[in-house]
Amino acid sequence: MTTAGQRLSSVLSHLNPLSTGRSRLLQKNPDDIVITYAARTPLTKAKKGGLKDTPIDDLLIALLTIVREQSKLDPNLVEDVCLGNVLAPGQAYMARASVLAAGYPVTAAASVANRFCSSGLLAVQQIANQIIAGSIEIGIAIGAESMSTNADGGAPTLSEKITNHPISSQNLQPMGQTSENVAGDFGISREKMDEFAARSFQRAERSQKEGWVKDEIVPIEVQIKDPKTGVVETKIIDRDDGVRYGTTAESLGKIRAAFPQWKPSQTTGGNASQITDGAAAILLMKRSKAEELGQTIVGKFCGATIVGLAPRIMGIGPSYAIPKILEKTGLTIADLDVIEINEAFASMGVYCVEKLGLDPEKVNPRGGAIAFGHPLGCTGARQIVTALSELRRQDKRIAVTSMCVGTGMGMAGVFVSEH
Amino acid sequence: MEFRTAGYNGYAVKYSPYFDSRLAVVASANFGLVGNGRVYILGLDANGIHAERVYDTPDSVYDLAWAERNETQVIVGGGDGSIKLFDTKSPDNFPVQEWKEHNREVYSVNYNLVTKDSFVSSSWDGTVKVWDPVRPNSLLTLPTHSCTYSTAFAPRSPSIISAVSSDSHLRIFDLRTNPSSANHLVHLIPIHGYPPMPGSTYGPPRQTYAPSECLTHDWNKYRDTVIATAGVDQLIRTFDIRNPKAGPVAILRGHDYAVRKLSWSPHLSDVLLSGSYDMTARVWSDGSNANAPSRPANLGPEAWGDELGRMNVHTEFVTGVDWCLFGAEGWVATTAWDERVCVWDVRSVMNPANASRFN
Repeated sequence: MTTAGQRLSSVLSHLNPLSTGRSRLLQKNPDDIVITYAARTPLTKAKKGGLKDTPIDDLLIALLTIVREQSKLDPNLVEDVCLGNVLAPGQAYMARASVLAAGYPVTAAASVANRFCSSGLLAVQQIANQIIAGSIEIGIAIGAESMSTNADGGAPTLSEKITNHPISSQNLQPMGQTSENVAGDFGISREKMDEFAARSFQRAERSQKEGWVKDEIVPIEVQIKDPKTGVVETKIIDRDDGVRYGTTAESLGKIRAAFPQWKPSQTTGGNASQITDGAAAILLMKRSKAEELGQTIVGKFCGATIVGLAPRIMGIGPSYAIPKILEKTGLTIADLDVIEINEAFASMGVYCVEKLGLDPEKVNPRGGAIAFGHPLGCTGARQIVTALSELRRQDKRIAVTSMCVGTGMGMAGVFVSEH
Repeated sequence: MEFRTAGYNGYAVKYSPYFDSRLAVVASANFGLVGNGRVYILGLDANGIHAERVYDTPDSVYDLAWAERNETQVIVGGGDGSIKLFDTKSPDNFPVQEWKEHNREVYSVNYNLVTKDSFVSSSWDGTVKVWDPVRPNSLLTLPTHSCTYSTAFAPRSPSIISAVSSDSHLRIFDLRTNPSSANHLVHLIPIHGYPPMPGSTYGPPRQTYAPSECLTHDWNKYRDTVIATAGVDQLIRTFDIRNPKAGPVAILRGHDYAVRKLSWSPHLSDVLLSGSYDMTARVWSDGSNANAPSRPANLGPEAWGDELGRMNVHTEFVTGVDWCLFGAEGWVATTAWDERVCVWDVRSVMNPANASRFN
């Protein structure tokens, strides 16, 4: 820049004192943590869908292989893979072994991140933090869950010091009960919940029919056993199978309560997240590294944060986590273009949208877990893939992604699309 | 009273410490972005303001300081990184001395008020330099690693230097400390506030602000541990360097754009004058004088201080402000990008109760 240009920009920077967090966030700096590849598998119904016979390690190997092939990155440069996963036994064995089986060299390490439904986002944060700290230069975050093959057994047997503790004992409550607590404590009506859920189905239906969701999904080849004949065949799975077309609030209103034992018994199979299999992967490095390697930058990780709250109303975690990450990144609600909130239950979804005063049009514009499922460890990474794809489609920039976390937490992260 | 620096946009004005009728002004063509600079030595008399000497410089000029030992000399910092010494006794219009060590724009120069034998300069090149006007090279270079808009000697100590930078920090250097890797830095005060200490219950929770470029600062002339700072975030803050960790003592809120220059009154210990990109010059009390209304202690630094008056005559960014050291206590000079130097009495923009404090 010329001297005059530098002096002019100096004066201009004095004159834009309230240069917003948005403009700061959109600046491109060499030490930004950027995403150069983001994709997910289809999400399919547990025990019924296309991934029902695919164990978690095969799911991981399939997706990691796709990342290796499609990212055009030399696999020797991948230093660590962090797996966000909640249910798989022997997670650490399985993660490292799957990385190697997917064609990465022995120098690629692996670890596991588990904070329930935020595990996928936590994995992204772990890899990003390692890059920020200089521990590694390139890493893959992957969220994956096979709920068909790894059942969610709920809380284990816990110490009496926990079961007798007034707050800690709330951790024994099943998630369905916490949904009813939110509906009851905050007066969320069944009608609002069904409307919220129907909107999720309708948006997911539109996203499938218009082909938007194809931008997120990489088809994977799996072995599947016919339940009647027992014949195993190889199939390509390429679409989410949970989306029921033509769903309305009225049709959802006819479904019986799933938890008659807990008042107000408004949660149903139609307005809660589905039990699903799936995986999503995010490739991270510094901008300087991406430019050096000629990687295509699709987005930027701007930070993530976590909050804790009473376990019995864990669903409203995003209503704390989102303001916290906005403050840290200097953003306001109005700066957000896409808001992905995991639809664990419609009760918490309705509460978070109303409490934060979010524009419903910006919240889960392609539908959410109620429509196409919530593979626990996958969701945090899946929402990033969805948000970046939707920002590209709308030609917008900033997304926040957030989820409630069992045992009473909320996590949120901010991402920028650089399409 | 008014003087036009026709074709040149004002950057700084300073009263002579020797004569109540003499001012120096630096101004630059094309708003200091590109082109020449000009130094004016102005005289005041019953007929108004007239130029006694005019010096042209090849690049923009941004700040000046009167030599404390020689009533005919001024030191000027410029866009080409040079510092020039002009002497009105010199018959020609060239500087009698020139120092070229800074690599970028020199944005402030300030004379040592105690020993009167040295001055300090700061530059966009991220350094503060200490000079003896009779030597050809600088005595000392103090790194700030950040574009440094303003630096000053402490008014009562010959060896303490302060500087504020675009990195939102106030630095205090003490030249009496031994040479070390700290480069004489004794305090590094985040002007926007210290980050909260997790889990600390000591003291009330502090409000935190986003870091922002600091453009100006000044030492209080009576309380020699008090410094006022101001900059892009529009707030004027006062700090007591005896307890820098306490954060600002007072925060004066009011300017609508960045504050470009600050000057404490040489007469009243609680009064300061500011010039801003919002085209106003404002007079403030930091709330420290004994007659100020008492304030609840729990309201924090924003409860302190009041705007006493504001001058709206300038039609462009106000870049230079200074108080007259002599005579009536309310006289000030301001300069701005509207090519004008105004000499006015702060009492004219105040209510009578406040104006009566100035003799």
